[in-house]
Amino acid sequence: MEMWLLITIILGFAMAWAIGANDAANSMSTAVGARAITPKQAVVIAGLLEFTGAYFFGKSVTETIRKGILDPTMIKDPNVLVYGSVAALLAATIWLIIATKFGLPVSTTHSIVGGIAGYGMVYAGTAIVNWGKMTQVVLSWILSPIVGAIMAYFVFKALTKSIFERRDPVRSARLWSPFWIGLAFVVIGTMFYIKVLHGKSLRTGVMTYGIPTGLVVFFVTYFLLRLRFPSSDPFIGVESIFRKVQVVTSGYVALAHGANDVANAIGPVAAVYAVATMGLSGMKVPVPRWILALGGLGIAIGVATYGYRVMETVGKRITELTNTRGFTIDFSAATVVLVASWMGLPISTTHTVVGAVIGIGLARGVKAINKEVVRDIVISWFVTVPVAGLISAAIFKFLMIMG
Amino acid sequence: MQVWTKLFAKSPFKPLIKHSEVVLNTVETLERALRLWYEGDYGEMGKLAVEVDRLEDVADRIKEEIRDSLSSRLMMAVAREDVLIYLHMQDKVADAAEDTAKWLLVREPDGIPEEIKEVILQMGTESIKAAKLVHEAIVQMDRVIESGFADGEIEREYGIIHRIEGVEKAIDELDTKLMQSVFENADSMSWADGLYILNVARTLSNISDKAKDAAERLRLMMNK
Repeated sequence: MEMWLLITIILGFAMAWAIGANDAANSMSTAVGARAITPKQAVVIAGLLEFTGAYFFGKSVTETIRKGILDPTMIKDPNVLVYGSVAALLAATIWLIIATKFGLPVSTTHSIVGGIAGYGMVYAGTAIVNWGKMTQVVLSWILSPIVGAIMAYFVFKALTKSIFERRDPVRSARLWSPFWIGLAFVVIGTMFYIKVLHGKSLRTGVMTYGIPTGLVVFFVTYFLLRLRFPSSDPFIGVESIFRKVQVVTSGYVALAHGANDVANAIGPVAAVYAVATMGLSGMKVPVPRWILALGGLGIAIGVATYGYRVMETVGKRITELTNTRGFTIDFSAATVVLVASWMGLPISTTHTVVGAVIGIGLARGVKAINKEVVRDIVISWFVTVPVAGLISAAIFKFLMIMG
Repeated sequence: MQVWTKLFAKSPFKPLIKHSEVVLNTVETLERALRLWYEGDYGEMGKLAVEVDRLEDVADRIKEEIRDSLSSRLMMAVAREDVLIYLHMQDKVADAAEDTAKWLLVREPDGIPEEIKEVILQMGTESIKAAKLVHEAIVQMDRVIESGFADGEIEREYGIIHRIEGVEKAIDELDTKLMQSVFENADSMSWADGLYILNVARTLSNISDKAKDAAERLRLMMNK
């Protein structure tokens, strides 16, 4: 059993690395693309915040079978959970590495969900899968980008209308920039409560975290801009305001990402750990801190080793993304994810962000978007669960025969 | 995640501005050539006319590059057809300047009355204005997109387009005036001089014609 635990730990670490490589770079990409920070700074900030999120705010209790995809009462043999966790982890990691190689932003949650459903079906047939949950996951493929696009479309329109279309853009920028930034911080504050502190009530989140944070940020920004507006050109001025804000918003995305997605890597590890130490295969198990640290470290290393390369290319090549647009993407994605998690919908941040980019494109805010790439991304989303499932099924079958 | 680098395609607008700069440069060089022509310094004029030809080649090359990169795989804030037709027309501005330069080179016009030469010079000055305004218009178009099609920026763009149309009209009037004076002076000029001067005038008014067509396309871009 110790050997299996060791193998799972290594695989969990590899998965965390892949999450860091594929996913974590997302959070900082818009800031790097809009030249708010350099790729080097982005790697340091993202690495630190991802680790902080994972270690300090990662859930200390996790579901052994992520998101309740399988019916735990049907798994009688603890060995199945061990082999299954290994198969799911390995499959998700392999798929993430392939996707990263081709530059496709797939969801890490969907990968692990696919892996788990894959081994489950090999073991006990389709009846073991909670199809209601699966439908929700599939719906999120379709809903996340669409809602993200709609949200970003309107946020972008409203933002440009309130600032650039006024008779005196500098004056309206002085008033409206703090408003938009304040609003973003209402969302961030609330999300901190729900996603990072894992709070339950949206009302409490909005009232005790969101609105106070938003108000403070509004007034601070408002008075700072009263004292000095960065430029006489409203375009340059507004961009330089949002450039600073973007560092904070994407830093926040990194923190929340670490707090949430670390579970994708360590959930299966925790399951095997529970079997190894207590011999049980329950639904929920406590996660020791060192496993959380391991996940956080893996993500941070993923950012540093692979994410770095990605962010560097981004910094060099995207000139199409201005700070207001980067802000719009971050803000819209955060809001959609917040509302979705409050409604209990498993929405994918990655999908929402890509949707938001397209939404701004539809609002004629981006000069050119590559349609072929959009098509490839959508295809990769649809194949994530089946492919991860198939790989996992094959590995699981192999382990069952060998074991 | 490399997707960010690929999701955003390279926008054609910076290259369009670059192309427009070269076109503007071509027309400016032609204007200087015209001045020397007016002053009778044919040697120097010839050098500039050759330079006009070279600059037109540069514009052509940039045009080809933009065309190659503007695949239908792009989702753009403006219609692809409009960009392509604008580019075509903008390039025709440089073509027309090159045609004028060629005509200037074929003959040393000693027997041409001063008043006619003056009209030609005026037409040159106006055509430069048209080319400058088209350049301003494409730079402003970039800004229209940058602002997310803000009404104020669109208004400004319309203003520039109106001015281009005004310039085109002024050149048309000069062209008519020139035709009249060529025939009024028919007795004192050779048929070759007449042919020569009318062709210089035709190519010069072509510059503003094409500039107007280019501006027309920019107008269409705003109501995609």
